Amino acid sequence: MNFRPARPLAHLIRVALAFAVVLAASVSCTRARAQDWFKTETSSGVSNIRIAVADFKAVSVGDPQTIPLKRTFDTTLFNDLANAGIFDVVSKSMLPQATPGAPGEINLAQWSVAPANAAMVAFGAFGASGGRLTVSGFLFDAKNAQFPQVLAKQYSEDANEGMARQIAHRFADEIIFRLGGGVPGIAETKIYYVKMSGGNKEIWAMDYDGANQHQITHLGTVSLSPRVSPDNSRIAFSSLGRDGFQIRMYSLLLNRMVNFPSAGGGTNLSPAWSPNGRDIAYSSSRTGDPEIWIADSNGGGGHRVTSFRGPDVSPVFNPKTGSQIAWISGRTNLPQLYIMDADGSGVMRMTDGGYATSPSWSPNGQFIAFAWNRKYGPGAPGGQDIYVMEVATKRWIQVTHDIGRCDFPSWSPDGRHIVFANTPGGRASSTRIVSMLSDGTGRRTLTEAGADMPNWSWK
Amino acid sequence: MGTDLRWIHDEHPEGDNLRGNFFGSLVLHGVVAGLVIGLAYFNNRGHSWGEDAATAGAIQATMVASLPLPPKQRELDTGVLTSESPSPAPVVAKEKTEPPPKPDEVAVPEKTKPVKQAPQPTPAPPKHPQPAPPQPTKAATGETAGIRIPQSTIELKNGTASAMVQDRTFGARFAYYVNIVNKVVAQNWYTQEADPRASAGKSVTVIFDIGRDGAPSNPRFGTRSGSPSLDTSAMRAVQRVDSFGPLPAGDHITVEYTFHYTQ
Repeated sequence: MNFRPARPLAHLIRVALAFAVVLAASVSCTRARAQDWFKTETSSGVSNIRIAVADFKAVSVGDPQTIPLKRTFDTTLFNDLANAGIFDVVSKSMLPQATPGAPGEINLAQWSVAPANAAMVAFGAFGASGGRLTVSGFLFDAKNAQFPQVLAKQYSEDANEGMARQIAHRFADEIIFRLGGGVPGIAETKIYYVKMSGGNKEIWAMDYDGANQHQITHLGTVSLSPRVSPDNSRIAFSSLGRDGFQIRMYSLLLNRMVNFPSAGGGTNLSPAWSPNGRDIAYSSSRTGDPEIWIADSNGGGGHRVTSFRGPDVSPVFNPKTGSQIAWISGRTNLPQLYIMDADGSGVMRMTDGGYATSPSWSPNGQFIAFAWNRKYGPGAPGGQDIYVMEVATKRWIQVTHDIGRCDFPSWSPDGRHIVFANTPGGRASSTRIVSMLSDGTGRRTLTEAGADMPNWSWK
Repeated sequence: MGTDLRWIHDEHPEGDNLRGNFFGSLVLHGVVAGLVIGLAYFNNRGHSWGEDAATAGAIQATMVASLPLPPKQRELDTGVLTSESPSPAPVVAKEKTEPPPKPDEVAVPEKTKPVKQAPQPTPAPPKHPQPAPPQPTKAATGETAGIRIPQSTIELKNGTASAMVQDRTFGARFAYYVNIVNKVVAQNWYTQEADPRASAGKSVTVIFDIGRDGAPSNPRFGTRSGSPSLDTSAMRAVQRVDSFGPLPAGDHITVEYTFHYTQ
């Protein structure tokens, strides 16, 4: 009975509270809806690991090779970690003066406080003597004074510029693998591309950072769309010969052309490897209309998987499952992006308009990158840019803006980078190869003008 | 002869004079001509609008839609930048100018002289010695290496994520790995999936194992939050992770991951 008088007051408070909660909820609700598309971003408020890359300590000062090789090594290691996309690399100007060469020589307190503020420190010793490079690298957790060591590696190779670079790539990949959630780094991967020389186009290759550019084929004709096999043993490409464009094959193990019989005539373009390396999908116009065909990797057993009126080109397998193909079809006038099962069933259109070309499926199977001119036509605004679409939801984002025509995107094996061909001036001769993080940031030009159609190796 | 040539007045009666007829004819012609011109003038003025239903036809209007332009492409409204409709501009209210106050409305404060205060002399310290403060029994910060708790917490945009490894020695020895686990799961936690009304201020704990290769397995709830959407979003965050990277030691560890949702 004593509670009776308090009841209306409690009720009033409850009503007021409920009102306040509803008000707050509606405010937060609108905010959540407005930010809905942030979902596909890689980071949702989580900061990257801050890593300091110390210059390695030169342990064999007498050898004249040491200094230039060490400079190559330091620069390559720094760039590899900076380009990985998962670190904030401390600027070299903020690092302590000391160059520790061994775990006993490092004073972690120096590195974990301002201005370096590093969470991780990569350091080590670099020596070149008697034609051999000896590198020992360490990765320390600067915030863990008790057990700082995360990684310790030792390398011994021939002393030359390429090997210094190679060791830096390997050490960087170890760090990225250890700290990047188990995704192997890409510092040792290659990019295959087409280089224009005079009227001819040959297949070239380079490291992922644009170094070590070298020619692969010497056919003296027009070769297009190189695609490296998943085991890095062969390159399939399309080349102009007596019978028009045919699929051809180059062995990177034998360093020569190998046979790839073309069963029919017609124009055969844009080969694509299945992730198990056993099948090659390509477009062939042997029946008059460009259609998608799938053959064994040795050229036999070719069969057609599309049979619609209108061109079907640029197939690419889903690298995660190998059971789906994304391709470009012109069955409804302008070319659009489609996906289907590898046997030709379950066709689904992905783009709703514009002019879409050259798809590339991300290694985890979640996204497709492609070149798209969304408002195609004379006088239409915008141009051809790289877009990334989430396959499950068909939602997409534009990742290049206002840098001229962009085409031929290709995913890196870690799914964090995309390489593409960029034509800043609008003239075909100014086309060059550019790589970026898959969210469009960190863009770096890898080649001079005259390079086109990049393809990132599978590992 | 004279009479022969004379105007015979007999043939022309008296009232029939030539001058009158001539002018009469002129007037008649003038009247007829005037009638003709007048009728023509009045008749050919045309019809006024809508007067004659027989001759006034319907007006044919050409709609803009029948112009030979291509149809508008359907836009995907859910995507970024797809919406054709521009976001509504913020309503800018026109600044109102306040009327100037009348001279008698603003009270002019009376000027008062501040009261001067003489500086108080500080009391001299006591001459006798003070007792020494007791020595601290605990080590001050920075004197020891510090004890590392095998737990790592990350503040998110709306929420806090903290991971705790049940194996305490592992957490101390490989603190960086705990941080990576925390970071990777936090990156995969889409807080938008949780209903903000039901989840505000609640926490859910998910327990999972990490195998030697770094793949999470067997995720289960430790403590449910009471908000099913928050529970689901937390469970999905763990399930989205393919790998945390190989374990630095041991063949498996168990991680207790707490998701705390704040507005």
